[in-house]
Amino acid sequence: MRHDRVTLSRRALLGGGAAAAALASFPHGLRAQPAAIRLGTLNPLTGSGGSYGPSMRKAMEWVAQEVNAAGGVNGRQVQLFSEDDQTNPEAAVRAARKLIDVDKVSAIMGTWASAVTTAVAPLCWESKTFLTTVSGSDTITQLPHQGYLVRTQPNTHLQIGKLGEFLLALKVKRVFTLAAQTPFAVPSQKRLAEILPKGSAETVGSVIYDKDKTTFRSEVDQAVRAKPDMIYLNGYTPDCTILMKELFKAGYTGAKIAQGYAVNAKLLGSLPHEVTDGTYTATPSPAVESAGYKRLAKALGTDDLDPYSCQCHDHISLVLLAIAHAKGEATGTAIKDHVRSISQGNGMKVDSAVEGLKLLGQGKAINYEGASGPCDFTESGDILDCKIRFDQAQGGKFTFVKLI
Amino acid sequence: MDNYIVAMAVFACVYALLALGLNLVWGMAGMINLGLVGFFGFGAYVSALATKRGGVPIAAGLLLALALTGVAGALMAMVTARLRGDYLAIITLGFSEVVRLVASNEIWLTNGTDGISGIPGPWRGRVTPEAFNLIFLGVAVTAVALVLAVMQRVRHSPYGRVLRAIRDDDQVTAVAGKHVLRFKVEAFAVSAGVLGVAGALWGHYTSYIAPEVFVPLITIYVVLALTAGGTGNNWGAVTGAFLVVFFMEGTRFVTAAVPGLKAVQVAALREGLIGLSLLLILRLRPAGLLPERLPRVAS
Amino acid sequence: MSVPLDETAQLVVNGLVAGTVLAVPAIGFTAIYAVLRFPNFSLASHITIGAFAGYVANTLGGWPASAAVLAAFVVAGAAGVVNDHVVLRPLRPAGALTTAIGAVALTIVLENVVRFAFGNDLRGYELPIRRDWQLGPIRIGPQQVENLVIAVLAMAAVFAFLTFTRTGKAMRAVADDAVLAGLKGIDAERVARLTNFGAMGLAGVGGVLLGLDTTIDPLTGFRVILSVFAAAVVGGLGSIPGAVVGALTIGVAEELSLLSLAPAYRTAVGFVAILLVLTLRPRGLLGERAF
Repeated sequence: MRHDRVTLSRRALLGGGAAAAALASFPHGLRAQPAAIRLGTLNPLTGSGGSYGPSMRKAMEWVAQEVNAAGGVNGRQVQLFSEDDQTNPEAAVRAARKLIDVDKVSAIMGTWASAVTTAVAPLCWESKTFLTTVSGSDTITQLPHQGYLVRTQPNTHLQIGKLGEFLLALKVKRVFTLAAQTPFAVPSQKRLAEILPKGSAETVGSVIYDKDKTTFRSEVDQAVRAKPDMIYLNGYTPDCTILMKELFKAGYTGAKIAQGYAVNAKLLGSLPHEVTDGTYTATPSPAVESAGYKRLAKALGTDDLDPYSCQCHDHISLVLLAIAHAKGEATGTAIKDHVRSISQGNGMKVDSAVEGLKLLGQGKAINYEGASGPCDFTESGDILDCKIRFDQAQGGKFTFVKLI
Repeated sequence: MDNYIVAMAVFACVYALLALGLNLVWGMAGMINLGLVGFFGFGAYVSALATKRGGVPIAAGLLLALALTGVAGALMAMVTARLRGDYLAIITLGFSEVVRLVASNEIWLTNGTDGISGIPGPWRGRVTPEAFNLIFLGVAVTAVALVLAVMQRVRHSPYGRVLRAIRDDDQVTAVAGKHVLRFKVEAFAVSAGVLGVAGALWGHYTSYIAPEVFVPLITIYVVLALTAGGTGNNWGAVTGAFLVVFFMEGTRFVTAAVPGLKAVQVAALREGLIGLSLLLILRLRPAGLLPERLPRVAS
Repeated sequence: MSVPLDETAQLVVNGLVAGTVLAVPAIGFTAIYAVLRFPNFSLASHITIGAFAGYVANTLGGWPASAAVLAAFVVAGAAGVVNDHVVLRPLRPAGALTTAIGAVALTIVLENVVRFAFGNDLRGYELPIRRDWQLGPIRIGPQQVENLVIAVLAMAAVFAFLTFTRTGKAMRAVADDAVLAGLKGIDAERVARLTNFGAMGLAGVGGVLLGLDTTIDPLTGFRVILSVFAAAVVGGLGSIPGAVVGALTIGVAEELSLLSLAPAYRTAVGFVAILLVLTLRPRGLLGERAF
């Protein structure tokens, strides 16, 4: 009976006092306020992705605040409608319906879990709402989205390709995968099976499990029986926590690797060191040297930003810049048609929405480079390249190993 | 906001169909089906797969759901119809869980826990969301009207009398020469078919189904609807369904007004209220709002 | 395909352990059926209540596992008595079916009370994580062994109670024939109360045992309830020794099913078992009639 029905309370973020003040300072003293630009945020505030959702949302709220304080987009204020997808496709679909039908947003930004994005995408392209996501599964950009979808996360093909490379560099020979049931479980396994033989390694088996179970004894038995020297935990934090305990109890002494969003600081904190020590993690690396990243880090009050908040910062910036490029037309179709004109190309490089809006207002061409990376998209909505960072857990903390 | 009201009305129609289906077996024939959400889900998957993967038109999907779910119901009844009430309760409850398990694990067929998205809806994408909602409401209301008419005919027919006799005492009915098992299986099959159509409609409306939608809580909503509206009475089933949906949505706004609660607590409060209402009704007015009025036999 | 003996042996061992733990709530379920004559589905939420009571005792009170088990027994048992008195007893005159539905509604209310208090996140007891023991080809965890011991002790206590104490004998009398027992001066209401306390207490103990080896959440009881029903039905509804035999059977069957089915289908085994028993031998291995 997993039914977290979130109350559909509208939490509109208004520019608030800043907006009123900005408007009041307009030299022409506008009386009629032009209609606000309505954008939706749909993030995992609860559920497996719950450690990232709130920060993702804050990043977007911050950008909206900054833009509103600087006068909005073509004189229009940005209004955000925020919902919790609960890392659950069913709840996400209901929330998306509400954002699209009731709040009438032109874009939905920041979906995290691949299953959520896959479920919400058809609602978006059918209603011509633009969708930006941080989900990685290959299958997502292969959907017939007609251009209404972009993602800032490296896809499975890219990510697992680099993960395979890393494993080969570690000289492992036998890899077993324990994967939660997600759209990327099968593509990941396939990609790994492609890459490993190049270094005379092989995949020795895989199990896809239901992530809502509370015990994985049989799955772990299967894994250990295959005698791997490396186990890839391709799941989320709650199930990975249980799996790591079970692997320890089963006496598994080989190596482990997982995605950074699953085996994160929170997981390390909840388990004894002996259980987690030595585990490798893979994380897409944001553009930590960029000014955009540094400004966002300061605004959110942390030195170590997760990649998703950086991506969400870029999502809303791209959407607003696209709207400005479309001369203020704030529909999903306009965003779709104009987003690549400001995300890549030969224009002046900018790293903030505010700066980009200023230049667009002066009629100049821009190329937005984000806090998560250059944000250059292919026709199908994927990013061109991304660096993956590999860390290892030691004594309850992560130490950097390699950047590929 | 009106889009929202229309959406709620569509959900109410779906629940009305479920309640009518339950009324046929429980209200009229006295067989409890605590696994009705399993048939609901089965019909949803049949139609979703047929229309999305098989490319058949939606109307065909609905008919397919009706037929296949009906067959599933007949099979289930053949195995269980002889059982006493409490055993039937246990086994039907188990059935719905098994349906959910199969849907979650046979990924090749049902896409597992990721669900099936992009289920076609009548003219969806070619008309505005508002128009789509209204069109679908029309479809849903038509379905309810049709099923209601059929159920009323059954009720007033000699067939309905036999079902009621079976409900009240199946030993006597058997002695009177009626092939009790055949009647029970037929009633179960028709009921399952109706539940399956309700599921198909759900899928085409929401455009997305997943195993976790089909949980026993939905069975409780339907039992609540039927009990509150009046078990045995078809109009009671429909009335109860509308009451329950508007009650469910009403609690959404009430709990939103309660300060300081986390989302999961709000959800728990709402679900708990559903269970509580059923208990209160069972205790205080078990006959429901519109009690069964036995049709007069011509004297 | 020849299945290695080791693998099968491991599954049988896992099954016996799981079955023993399953027997505890199964006894509770079948006892309520024997004395009060209806399937009390609210057992599911009492398993959860016990699991969380033990969790609170362990994490907040720092109590060790055995004390947590006791806490669970008392809390779940008390809850059972209160719930029966307030909710289910007034429904009994309306018949077994209404009471059964009331029990389902009650389980939903209770599960959500737990959810309200604790949220949906998985929680683990605070116990040292110890490596499993390797006895030849068989892997068994120290916690599993502990659970086995606790379950066996609980069952022994139940049997002793029913055989040797006066109240226990009174319960058996009521289960056998309530009218006759009444004629002999046995207070049926008192027996009912005691049965509820004991049965739901056992459910709570089952919850803790489940939680000790894995993790708990508000759905803990619900996940295992079909297997509990199966154990009781297979053994014969109303027969306590039947519940034990049924539980061991179901436990081993569920594990052996892993040889050919995906792990997720374990609960389906319970369902199939119920179907088989009801079609082939309705009174179960040791007991009651299904018709």
